[in-house]
Amino acid sequence: MAPPIRRLVLDVMKPHEPDILEFSRAVADSEGVDGANVALIETDRVVQNLKLTIEGGDIDATAVEEDIAGLGGTVHSIDEVVCGDRLIDQQDTPQDH
Amino acid sequence: MTSLRTLIADEDVRSISRRYFISNGFDGTLTSIGIVVGAYLSGVTDGFTVFTIGLGAAVGLGTSGVWSVWEIERAEKQAELLRIERAMLTDLQDTSLQQRREGARKVNAVASGIGPLIGIILPLLPFLAHDVLFSLLEATVVAVGIGVTVLFTFGAYLGSISKQNWIVAGIRMGLAGVVVAVLNLFLPG
Repeated sequence: MAPPIRRLVLDVMKPHEPDILEFSRAVADSEGVDGANVALIETDRVVQNLKLTIEGGDIDATAVEEDIAGLGGTVHSIDEVVCGDRLIDQQDTPQDH
Repeated sequence: MTSLRTLIADEDVRSISRRYFISNGFDGTLTSIGIVVGAYLSGVTDGFTVFTIGLGAAVGLGTSGVWSVWEIERAEKQAELLRIERAMLTDLQDTSLQQRREGARKVNAVASGIGPLIGIILPLLPFLAHDVLFSLLEATVVAVGIGVTVLFTFGAYLGSISKQNWIVAGIRMGLAGVVVAVLNLFLPG
């Protein structure tokens, strides 16, 4: 069995409507998602760019992407994936300084 | 499908529906006042006849209200969706965005149809009491009074939502009913 996805960080573009509140609630309600953090990165005349961080026991990435598409949004890129039995954070290395 | 409660909570849906409702309600009420005064001056002898003529106008304006808005909003909402699709570079058919517009269009069309029904039918009601409560002249005067009151209510409502003096806003709208009634007195027929 494939290790479960526990965290996803997505770059998402969406129309102004539905608003970020409704969008967050819908994403948090997706399959395998326990919670969502949605941050507004940029707002344009017609669209908004969001950084979407979601965590859960076993996130269904396809279902999340479908739910985002159902709300009128598109996933531009998957910027971070954490999977396995534990949540592992990115570690700093000397090269990062 | 977006729920009715969500749609009605949306200020854009409310605002557009309100415009159609008031605009077509205004048309309907003035039409009704014109019909009752015209019918009285033409020598119609039976109140029920005036009522049925008015109902014909209600059917016409009600259908016009629903049908025209159904088509107008199809085009407007589709154009709006296309603008968003161009910005998003994606197809938005079958998304909540498109479904919400579909639902909003229904609410707009219903509001547009109800406006003239209220505006026409309420002033016609005294004619149902012809020979019971009112003579034809009395029914006509009461009908004009009801029409002016309906117009006043529309105006007062618009005044209240826009923080104007609702009495003045109501009088401005109600005045149109008096003008139509007076114009009918002086026009041929």
